[in-house]
Amino acid sequence: MNQFLSRKIRMIALLAGVFVALGVPADAAQRTSGLWWMPDVASKGGEQIDQLTYFIYYLTGAVFLLTQVVYVYFLIKYRAKKGMRATYSHGDNRLELVWTAIPTAIFIGLWGYSNHLWLDVIHKEPPPGTMQVAVNAYQFGFSFQYPGPSGKLGRSDVKLISPDNVFGNDRTDPVTKEDFQSGVLELPVDKGVRILLTSRDVIHGFYIPQFRIYQDAVPGRTIDWVWFIPNKVGSYELACSQLCGSGHYNMKAPIEVVSQEEFDKWYKQKIAGSAPSSTNASAQSK
Amino acid sequence: MPPVLQIIDLKDSQATRSYLTKQTLRSWLLTTDHKRVGLLYLYTIIVFFAVAASAAAVMRLNLLTPRGDLVQAETYNKLFTMHGVLMVWFFLIPSIPSVLGNFLLPLMLGARDLAFPKLNLLSWYIFVFGGGIALYALLIGGVDTGWTFYTPYSSTYSNSHVALMAAGVFVAGFSSILTGLNFIVTTHKLRAPGLTWFRLRLFVWSLYATSVILVLATPVLAMTLTLMALERIWKVGVFDPALGGDPLLFQHLFWFYSHPAVYIMILPGMGVVSELIAAFSRKRVFGYTFVAFSSLAIALLGFLVWGHHMFVSSQSVFAGVIFSFLSFLVAIPSAIKVFNWTATLYRGSISLDTPMLYAIGFIGLFTIGGMTGLFLATLAVDVHVHDTYFVIAHFHYIMVGGMVMAFMGGLHFWWPKISGRMYPELLGKMTAIVTFLGFNLTFFPQFILGYLGMPRRYHAYPEQFQVYNVLSTAGASILGLGYVLPLCYLIWSCCYGKPAGNNPWGAKGFEWETTSPPPSENFEKPPVQTEEAYAYPVPSSEPITE
Repeated sequence: MNQFLSRKIRMIALLAGVFVALGVPADAAQRTSGLWWMPDVASKGGEQIDQLTYFIYYLTGAVFLLTQVVYVYFLIKYRAKKGMRATYSHGDNRLELVWTAIPTAIFIGLWGYSNHLWLDVIHKEPPPGTMQVAVNAYQFGFSFQYPGPSGKLGRSDVKLISPDNVFGNDRTDPVTKEDFQSGVLELPVDKGVRILLTSRDVIHGFYIPQFRIYQDAVPGRTIDWVWFIPNKVGSYELACSQLCGSGHYNMKAPIEVVSQEEFDKWYKQKIAGSAPSSTNASAQSK
Repeated sequence: MPPVLQIIDLKDSQATRSYLTKQTLRSWLLTTDHKRVGLLYLYTIIVFFAVAASAAAVMRLNLLTPRGDLVQAETYNKLFTMHGVLMVWFFLIPSIPSVLGNFLLPLMLGARDLAFPKLNLLSWYIFVFGGGIALYALLIGGVDTGWTFYTPYSSTYSNSHVALMAAGVFVAGFSSILTGLNFIVTTHKLRAPGLTWFRLRLFVWSLYATSVILVLATPVLAMTLTLMALERIWKVGVFDPALGGDPLLFQHLFWFYSHPAVYIMILPGMGVVSELIAAFSRKRVFGYTFVAFSSLAIALLGFLVWGHHMFVSSQSVFAGVIFSFLSFLVAIPSAIKVFNWTATLYRGSISLDTPMLYAIGFIGLFTIGGMTGLFLATLAVDVHVHDTYFVIAHFHYIMVGGMVMAFMGGLHFWWPKISGRMYPELLGKMTAIVTFLGFNLTFFPQFILGYLGMPRRYHAYPEQFQVYNVLSTAGASILGLGYVLPLCYLIWSCCYGKPAGNNPWGAKGFEWETTSPPPSENFEKPPVQTEEAYAYPVPSSEPITE
């Protein structure tokens, strides 16, 4: 609470500062990290995405400064003076070629590098031992389904999704009976987790900024290519980022990244607690 | 009467009779004069702009506090939908083409009117009818789907007036198509003698490129919204998986229109800026043909990049790769334009009048908007900022920092021609600067908000985002001032402004050769183009070469 108060005071101070055109730089030093720029990355591979972001940031920043300096210089230097006339010019094909070729080369290079990240980091096969968690989005929340001791989720099909079977579990599959549901996305640190993403009504978003991950959950299909390795213990928040109705802004779910031991403890508790009728557990169970 | 006397007689009658002379309601509502139709559009879009901007003002006020204390979540959703729908379809798309384009295209071509003057008036009536439906949908309760109408939320789940709003947009689309068609035919058929394609003004080139997109893309929107409404009303399964449809199909179809629509909104702005830069640096636009063809390149490539709105939609991973490539490509013609505008200034004779200030602002802000587009075209980076405030900031830098700045610049530049009177220059300059500052304060913090991870369309938000939201709201109030002031002093200038004369800027072009305001038939005698476009005075040692 105290922290909130002091933050509020600082915000008011900052706002006041803006109006008298000072105070912004003074305030900057007091902020905790991640408040001015990206939230600290908490997943493996996330740093690579950040590196690329920084690269584009510096590249575009440099080009922007350069072009603006030239631009402003021209504006000042060639302002109208009495008795001076503009110099006629028709253009210069060589210059055109240069400033077409350079951006083209940069863009294609950027594209090539980003493909490497996209295909080899984000969309490559996850490492062996990756845990599977089914995530089902609904108006307005998320529920999670974990595999039982076999380590495998039972068969499911989006066509089977119904109000009393929100994950579309195939109940004829014996493995399904071991699955259990949770209202919290509990994850062991440094271990891969693959998401099987479904929605039971409209399109939702599966967005975790700290993990640099976002994928829409689309009704009618199971999206199975999202995986990540959280590498920092902590509490995070899963947020919906695709407009889904009046509760959109409040559609969230807690994420707990914990040590392997803590996770095992939680997992055992969950299994013991929901053994008899796991598949019938209500989706909203917290 | 001998012919010479006849001409003199005609001259006398025209000197006193401009297109504004007859001021009856009937003469306005039944006019086929392209200049009057342009003004009818101007009045109409000012109304839509005011409504849509008020919605944004309420949103910004609501976001002053993290809990969103001012309005309820559902109201908030309706506000941003209203803001988006009205701004996109009822302000930005008709802004430069239908107002300035209508007014100027025949003048720039040396024609008496558009090719189909009655069709032009009809397209305004269609636009007003469509806008009326949209406003009615707002009055009876509004729509909460966002301007993107994503299915199945829009087609099945939303309890608001989606079908009615879609009908409004559908109807207004015909106005776009007819205007586009009219402009294309006019540019082909009504050019003055000597006015070859490569002597055309760059504004005409950009209108031509825009019209091509209007004609080709708008039918796809009409079709998509029809399918969505059919699904909503009669449960025809197209997009809702529960009815056997596919929600992604809607996104593909919607963005196949709506990405080109982004270029409908920016290309005419680029055309205006080319005019302003040339006129106020007294120079021919550097690399004329490159600037002209880059407009066509943007129009063409704009049709091939719709998938970059869908990188995280679960479209194929490889489709993402291709759309990323094409999105980088579409940035090249824009970069070429910016370089050429900068080079035009080189050894020019630059005067910083109000329209030029807007043009300068345009170039800086458009560059930021374009460059932040590179973050979004880069697949892995887009994932982090997709559907956050980063995207909001990005497209507002293009749409408001770009298009609206260009529109204001163009309006000030041609205002003497439209009204026959000058606006107060000092006030104009101050307003341009206020708009620029207010704009940046409004939208720059939103880039940071996006990076911090604040999703768009949130009625309330975590406490740590408040400072940027407060800054943004403060900026919006300054920006608002920048829009209210011109409304006041431009109206004032109609009565009290000093008479402008034919060519107050000393600019080149047919429209500056006729009187201000022009006579109904535009020119006393049909003009003939004898030189290239922007043939500003050249040192006698340098010959003009074509």
